Amino acid sequence: MVIRRLVGRWQGVVLSLIGLIATIWLGLTGQLALYIHPRYFVFTVIMAVIAGVLALAAFVLAPTAQDGHDQDGHEHSDEHSHDHSDGRGSRWSWLWPVGSVLTIVAAVVALLILPPSTLTTATVAQRDLNGSASALTLKAPALPSKGDYSAFTVRDWASLLRSGAGQDFFADKTATVTGFVSADKTDPNVFFVTRFVVTCCAVDAQPIGVPVYHPGWQNEYTTDSWVTVSSSFRANPNPASREAIVLIPDSIAHTTQPAQPYVY
Amino acid sequence: MTLPAVDKRKQPEHEHRSPVRAFTSKSAAGLVVGLALVALFALVRVLAPSTPETFGLPNAARDFATLSISVVVESLPFVFLGIVLSIAVQVWLPEGMLLRRLPRIPVLRRLVLSLLGMLLPVCECGNVPLARGLVVKGLTVAESMTFLFAAPILNPVTIVTTAQAFGWGNGILVSRVLGGFFIANLVGWIYSRHPRPGELLTARFQETCTVADHDGGAAGKVRRSVQMFSQETRAMMPALFIGAGMAGLIQVAVSREVLVALGSNPVWSVLALMLLAFVVAICSNVDAFFILSFGATFMPGGIVAFLVFGPMIDVKMLALMRTTFTAKTLLQLSLLVALCAAVLGLAINYGH
Repeated sequence: MVIRRLVGRWQGVVLSLIGLIATIWLGLTGQLALYIHPRYFVFTVIMAVIAGVLALAAFVLAPTAQDGHDQDGHEHSDEHSHDHSDGRGSRWSWLWPVGSVLTIVAAVVALLILPPSTLTTATVAQRDLNGSASALTLKAPALPSKGDYSAFTVRDWASLLRSGAGQDFFADKTATVTGFVSADKTDPNVFFVTRFVVTCCAVDAQPIGVPVYHPGWQNEYTTDSWVTVSSSFRANPNPASREAIVLIPDSIAHTTQPAQPYVY
Repeated sequence: MTLPAVDKRKQPEHEHRSPVRAFTSKSAAGLVVGLALVALFALVRVLAPSTPETFGLPNAARDFATLSISVVVESLPFVFLGIVLSIAVQVWLPEGMLLRRLPRIPVLRRLVLSLLGMLLPVCECGNVPLARGLVVKGLTVAESMTFLFAAPILNPVTIVTTAQAFGWGNGILVSRVLGGFFIANLVGWIYSRHPRPGELLTARFQETCTVADHDGGAAGKVRRSVQMFSQETRAMMPALFIGAGMAGLIQVAVSREVLVALGSNPVWSVLALMLLAFVVAICSNVDAFFILSFGATFMPGGIVAFLVFGPMIDVKMLALMRTTFTAKTLLQLSLLVALCAAVLGLAINYGH
């Protein structure tokens, strides 16, 4: 049972190494923002480095000690009684190391092999687009007094649209927004320029978006691709649509995913 | 290709190790193995393809991976912090320093323990290794449960974020804090009456408890710290990874719209939000913002039930606590806490 002993002893340290190397690499390449809010960056990287030192120390110290052998003995008998107390016969005891190895393989694939990625339109469909109140509360000083809306983001415009400001308000305003394309569930002529709002980590991401009226957009833009739309707001030509006020763009430009794909 | 990488990293490690103990060929071999693993993992990460399209995964699979990884990356530093604190309590704190100062009357003892979270503001996933450390040091099982359930709620960071999200006035913050405090102490009181508390723990963890404490001196302490790091990570890491995978899978599979649709009914809002809390497994430090983001459609009792139940029991926490408590105990605990949280939520909904 050499494999079983090895796995039992080193599984935790190896999983830690996988996790912390992935974390540090994400930090070095500036991709931590794909998973967590920037306020955690420093803490996360510091803890990863500390854990790295401890993990390496475990490799240096653990196998030398006399009580290292002691421990192996303990582990062994311990695992035995564990199996029994759970009512599993020793016939199934091979499941334990196999499960451990599978966990390690899954961790390597997920954290070290898969390319880091943002959330996609699959999650937009799963979570209500523009359905979240706090993601769409306008930060107080956002309304500029004299018409400079150039700094307005997808979030700002989506908040304004949701706040129920009338058509008069939007009449003379031009928006320039960047986000990824997601389809409107009800109106085939409309797509959303979409972003995720993240409060802690990608798990709590809430999709928000500004509607764009552009019949036939499906032929030009694939969902999940990033675009920059610049245009003024108009009434939706289709009065039955859920979105009364939309962007009817003069220009839609393909763009690449920005370094910070989420908004905070 | 791997060799230069190994050599580069050898230098700082050398300094770290040398005061600890004399150089032996075995620890050198251990170091080489460790560094080789680091180099191997780093190499795999750097050489792996970097565009998400390479693998041609469907969107749902990609989001499953992203969500699971996000849980791991978010929780990992807190788990490490918990382990480091646990090591500090077990190895470096003078014997009995913490526990000796607690009151001797069991009820008061648990009351004080439930406030310990005020001093050690770790997220709930970090509390599990810390609670294990405290049990090894002589805390009873029931007391460890009180600490485990109270600390994530009676915690300065949690209180501040909840206050930011909901304000002081409308009773949500007060209900959360008092409710969490009460449930944690109730659970502690019930389990303190258990005739054989040892049976609540897994055989594996009982073993750990009896092996505690030997050799003194700084070198011995360093050695024990490192051993405990490898012991605790062995228990925590698989649980964390499996818990994260389950959280990611459930998020992709269960539509939240269904849960949200139930939110405006006084009974269903409580049950639906408790299920949501169980499923999303989010940190107690930020769950107030999270639930706020679901809009004002929820009734306050549902929100309180979410905020009280979530930090105590969820997918990830169950996986982590399984390292310490038996499955039967966890089932009882989950039902007990769920019942209390539901009663609290319903009382608020109907009391308004």
